[in-house]
Amino acid sequence: MKGGIRKVFAYMVRYRAAGLFLFIFCLLTLVTLVNPTFLEWQNLRDIAVQAAPICIISCGLMLVLVTGEIDISVGSMMGLLAACMGAMASLSRGNWPPGVVIPLTLGIGMLLGLLNGWLVAYAGIPSIIVTLGMLTALRGVTELIMAGTWITDLPSGIRFLGTGTWLGIPVSVWTALAVFLVSLWLVHQTAIGKRIYAIGSNPHAARLAGLPIKPIKVFVFAWTGLLTGVATLVSVPQLSVVDSGIGVGLELLVITCVVVGGTAVNGGIGNLGGVLCGVVLMTMISTVLIFMKLGEDATYWSRAIQGLFILGAILADHWISNQRKT
Amino acid sequence: MKNSTRHYLSIAILLASITAFLGACAPSPSESSSKTSGEESGRKITICLIPKKKGLPYFTSCAAGAQEAAKDLGNVELIYDGPTDGSPDKQASMIEQYTLKGVDVIAVSPNDPDVVAPAMRKARAKGVHVIAWDADAVKDARAFFVNQASAKAIAHGMVDTMANDLGNPSVKTEVAIVTAYLTAANQNIWIEHMKTHMASEHPNLSLVAIKPSDEDQKLAFKVTQDIMKAYPEIKGFFGISSVSFPGAAEAVRQAKKTGQIMVTGLATPNSMKSYVKDGTVKSVVLWNTAELGYLTVQVAEALATGKLTDGASSFDAGKLGEKKIEDDHVLLGDILVFNKDNIDAYDF
Repeated sequence: MKGGIRKVFAYMVRYRAAGLFLFIFCLLTLVTLVNPTFLEWQNLRDIAVQAAPICIISCGLMLVLVTGEIDISVGSMMGLLAACMGAMASLSRGNWPPGVVIPLTLGIGMLLGLLNGWLVAYAGIPSIIVTLGMLTALRGVTELIMAGTWITDLPSGIRFLGTGTWLGIPVSVWTALAVFLVSLWLVHQTAIGKRIYAIGSNPHAARLAGLPIKPIKVFVFAWTGLLTGVATLVSVPQLSVVDSGIGVGLELLVITCVVVGGTAVNGGIGNLGGVLCGVVLMTMISTVLIFMKLGEDATYWSRAIQGLFILGAILADHWISNQRKT
Repeated sequence: MKNSTRHYLSIAILLASITAFLGACAPSPSESSSKTSGEESGRKITICLIPKKKGLPYFTSCAAGAQEAAKDLGNVELIYDGPTDGSPDKQASMIEQYTLKGVDVIAVSPNDPDVVAPAMRKARAKGVHVIAWDADAVKDARAFFVNQASAKAIAHGMVDTMANDLGNPSVKTEVAIVTAYLTAANQNIWIEHMKTHMASEHPNLSLVAIKPSDEDQKLAFKVTQDIMKAYPEIKGFFGISSVSFPGAAEAVRQAKKTGQIMVTGLATPNSMKSYVKDGTVKSVVLWNTAELGYLTVQVAEALATGKLTDGASSFDAGKLGEKKIEDDHVLLGDILVFNKDNIDAYDF
């Protein structure tokens, strides 16, 4: 019996996400004891829908972090893509069919990512500066497109991407699942996946080995741009109004998910399972707090608890990682 | 290695030159103060209107009214500018920038009164007239507050509308509020008035939760979903900002609770039309936003030309007629309620 537990523990420890997983499990047990309705299908489904776009972008951003770069422009990028999508699809503006809007939105996302990647890899500007500039610039372009108004008439074809279901499961969750599987394949089965890790863990050796560092960096940024497009398509049409503030602060949330999920900020380390745990934790925390029914007074300190939970998760993860070393 | 050093160096030089350029562009303080004390008649008055967040249709419609007032007055040059992300820090630095530029009046709708107050006081010390509009500032940091409707009227209006839309319930009925930021001055005053009004006039409405949406529709949508599940008996939601209201209404609609859970609150009519039509929302509370912008510019101009001084009790606001001033508040008037019958007549 004891050996069995130790085996399970050893297995979990092999992955950096072990502590995080344990923490999520404890949190779930706690909230279910207080309010069993938390585990109802509808609630789990809502959490999955909220997590889906975050998960999609995190899959891309993790790879950027693994190469040792960073992308803090995804929030503004989503804002701009939402504005483009809205303007193209809106009945009173473009009124273009979804068959045109969807590929164009994805294409613009990928182009923006390519631009980021080119500026980082070929123009040689540090990625934090490139994407910081993009964060502001893209928001500005969004304001320009929106011109002080909101888009309030998205056609039902586009709304379906955000609100529709297939076999009882929302389109966005299917999409996130597909992206996650493709990312797993990319990381574990392809040469480019292995090279991404090689570049991040030892750039000098990668250069000496003659790996195509620049094209790979461009690839991870373009991939993140494309995935931001995917996330925009499945999350923005969940709401009936496209406003100019979509995606504000999203970059921080995504980076938090990826880093809480065990990805090293200076490159080389990161696994998708951990990132998924990070995404689940970050999206369920605020729901958990509401389900605890802490009452109206809790409004003011719930943010602080949220922060404590995140710190707790990271500490648990650290502790278990250290156990593995000794 | 050498290459990257050169890169950092060139970026540093670029940044330094930009800073130097901006410094050269800004007028020196002495220049701007001599301008304000100079000739009074026939001079253009520059008014800077700062919203909480640029790009919100609510503020865009206010700005349209402000533009009209500038045209009617003839001697006003209007600048409409604000942070695009609704950040109070950026608002404060904008106030400082426009003070340096030497505008005559700054009218600001503070996102966080305490954060922007120092910048407003600095502007006043440099001779710029500062007023608050749409949301009040710290009292000593502004001359007047152009108030769309008294906080009491707005709060009571929303609570009465909710009670009415729910058919004046005779049993305990749970309601919740989805607000903007927890630090938003307007919303916090409304919430206080809503609480007292519920306690005294509608004791059957019991407030179970107040949640911030941080002016993010998605977050408003999410917290509304969560509250509906955590409090299955809930019957009503107040969305008390133009972003939280559509978010809350969408959550109720997607939960297929249209007609069972009422949503009311403050928003611009265009974003709520579809919800009013399908019955998720019966009434939308607001005020005449264009008139609010109009009145703000009128007050600003009168202050700069000396027509309006501290302690005045009424004010002639051009086409709007005589407006009351109570305790430094220039009052616009009553609230406006949109419903199925009149919402199509408004387009903003």
